[in-house]
Amino acid sequence: MTEPSGLARPGLALAGLGKSYAGVAALDGVTLEIRRGTVHCLVGGNGSGKSTLVKLLAGVVNRDARGTVTIGDRTVAASELTPSWARDAGLRFVHQDIGVFDDMSVADNVAVVTGYPTGPGGKIDRAALDTSVRALLQRFGLDVDPAAPTGSLRPAARTMLAIARALYDQGPSSRNGVLVLDEPTASLPEHESAFLREMLRRYAADGHAIVLITHHLSEVLDVADDVTVLRDGRHVVTREREGLEYRDLVALIVGSDIPERWARPVFEPATASDHGLVVTGLSGGSVHDLSLRVGRGEVVGIAGMRGSGRSQVVKMIAGVTAPTRGQVHVNGTDLGAGGIPSAIAAGVAYVPEDRDRDAAFGDLDVGSNLLAVGVRRYLRRGRLDHAAEHADATRLIREFGIRTRSERQTMSTLSGGNRQKVVLARWLERRPTLLLLDEPSQGVDVGARAEIHRIVEQAVELGTAALVVSSDFDELCLLCDRVIVMRSGRQVAELARHELTPARLTELSFAPLEAA
Amino acid sequence: MTSTAVPARTRLGPTLEPYALVIIFVLMFVFFAIAPETSDLFASHANLSSVLANQSVLGVLALGSLAPLVCRNFDLSVGAIASLSQIAIAAAMSRFDLPLVVALVVGIAIGTMVGVVNGIVVTRFRVNALIATLGMATFVAGLIQAYTEGQTISNGISKSFVRFGSGEQAGIPNVTFVLAVVAVAVWYLLTQVPFGRHLHFIGSNPESARLVGIDVDRAVRRSFVVSAFFASVGGALLVARNGTGDPRSGANYMLQALAAAALGATAIRPGRYNVVGTLVAIMLLGFGVNGLTLWGVPYWINDVFFGASLVVAVAISSSLGRERAGAT
Repeated sequence: MTEPSGLARPGLALAGLGKSYAGVAALDGVTLEIRRGTVHCLVGGNGSGKSTLVKLLAGVVNRDARGTVTIGDRTVAASELTPSWARDAGLRFVHQDIGVFDDMSVADNVAVVTGYPTGPGGKIDRAALDTSVRALLQRFGLDVDPAAPTGSLRPAARTMLAIARALYDQGPSSRNGVLVLDEPTASLPEHESAFLREMLRRYAADGHAIVLITHHLSEVLDVADDVTVLRDGRHVVTREREGLEYRDLVALIVGSDIPERWARPVFEPATASDHGLVVTGLSGGSVHDLSLRVGRGEVVGIAGMRGSGRSQVVKMIAGVTAPTRGQVHVNGTDLGAGGIPSAIAAGVAYVPEDRDRDAAFGDLDVGSNLLAVGVRRYLRRGRLDHAAEHADATRLIREFGIRTRSERQTMSTLSGGNRQKVVLARWLERRPTLLLLDEPSQGVDVGARAEIHRIVEQAVELGTAALVVSSDFDELCLLCDRVIVMRSGRQVAELARHELTPARLTELSFAPLEAA
Repeated sequence: MTSTAVPARTRLGPTLEPYALVIIFVLMFVFFAIAPETSDLFASHANLSSVLANQSVLGVLALGSLAPLVCRNFDLSVGAIASLSQIAIAAAMSRFDLPLVVALVVGIAIGTMVGVVNGIVVTRFRVNALIATLGMATFVAGLIQAYTEGQTISNGISKSFVRFGSGEQAGIPNVTFVLAVVAVAVWYLLTQVPFGRHLHFIGSNPESARLVGIDVDRAVRRSFVVSAFFASVGGALLVARNGTGDPRSGANYMLQALAAAALGATAIRPGRYNVVGTLVAIMLLGFGVNGLTLWGVPYWINDVFFGASLVVAVAISSSLGRERAGAT
């Protein structure tokens, strides 16, 4: 994208920005400029200082901060920056948790930020509200009914709604606004985030500046005009995206090349018993008549859009939801209708998509989280053998490279990548026959993603069969021997390793269903 | 996201925090023991022994109610269950001439059955535990009134049982030894066997617990049976202490038991329900009210003290829980 003329004046300039916590620099002398009319992506691993930078701009952690912040012709010392200064200067923030109330109407969700227009007696003037909300949303290309429940909007539209309301007082003529988006696409499927990116591009083209923080590097390569990489609190580079490749970006973020995929022999099942997982005619929910096999030592992926039934497949195999028809055999055993306990007994390990909601025990310690499956095995002479538990927890922390002070640290204080490693360690310690992974690296940084992949590869080398669901098609191409593509609950394609490319998977996931 | 340190807030040193409640208890105890207004009565053996014995009965109820509390379910029926088992035991001896041991078994079994029903209502019919056990408490209280017609059962109670209830060993009330046994049993159940670990997992995240293969409903059901069982034991102790089956006693134990459990969660293992903390809280509340009463503070102080300590304790322990979760 070329720079729109007449907008050379920086939208946002940071000079020598720094912040330390307890003597440790979280952000160290960061200087950069964000041009008007551009989308500027800010990338870096966990702990790189992205969040600290956002918090400094928002004016929430500014004690002892160093450096200055300039917006338009206003400059302020970072230590003097307050939330109201940020607001006056035109800085607007939309966080990962967009703060939208799904069961309230679109208009209510806007009014919760902008305030309600009221008539006599303080009664809410619905007509005026609807008119202003409609006008606001149309400015951002959203044509939705203000009375519609927000939960009925498509995911990208929900995010866009959050953005629109944050910018409600930034009229079309205002050119001072700087919009900071902190991982707005983290929970969006690819086609939704593409839709969102398109809207952002249009908004930037109007002359606004957008700072986009994201873990999705393909997104960066798609939408960014400029890219800034942070690592360990330091500014690595700010440059135009033009000419930047995926691997360059990864290398800049990690500081070195991440290791290539492990050379693993191509899986060739010799006998039927080599199949860790055999699924025949599985139906339930939106899934219809699905059959698949995963060999021991093989990684099979399921690609598809959200709603394609990909997550339901692994849930049914794991016994979390009951299929209406079909059989699941793990290592030759029919799981029947035994639910989760019989799946676990047969050697199934299930790592769910939403690890905080469905896998983590956030307020318990890391040790308890690691040993949560089958506590009974530590029962010796009528009581739990705490020494054995401690030994196992310590060993797992070491083996899986979990960065924690000790097994006593509270789970929720770990980074996303480390929480995921805890969940993986919990299951892999059992040497599962079948490993089911739903979005294994969602919300974790590139370095942690590589570590998670290595952990999975190692388990597979030891003879585990792995079935991976991911909306990150790069990940499927890196990790899988084979990928099944699902659409509307059915398998529509199967690609062997040499046929795998993210583009091909995207194409197949989107292709319209032929008339039956 | 990357969790960066929140600006350090002033708070109790992390090493002192678990013992704050113990320190308060000791200071308060010493204060009442030496203050001229209360010292001669408060520190007398008769007074200490009587408070200790009363709090022991309450303690048994509070400890039992920890089981559902750990998996984030309130059991508001422990007071009513104690009343029920008390009446059943007294009636078994008085109206049916059953021997003591049989009466105890029958009374405790009847009380425990209420817990079984609570568990089924909560897990099978998905009734919120607060509502289910509040309803159950009212229902049981009504049945007790119907059965006793409001009359105290005082004839034919085993003399040796009453002697046990008022007796002492080495200056310590017999019922306090029962409390000690119950404390060890509950501690063992909550921390030393898989059942207790499962309750902690469920309390932390029921969905995660289900996905690691824990039978969540069964564990929750059993937690209500545990609390009903110990509440029934508390009912038996009431018979031993009072020598009667009084349909009115026991009902107001519910709030006090909850207050003790909640207050206990601010100590020893801050932010978590635990046995030792609950014991400390039981004694703090008992001797606190006793000392204030001896000071000449009017009778209503009891309700004010327990009501306020329940709310304050929950506020403190939930903020401790947040701190735990948010601390880096």
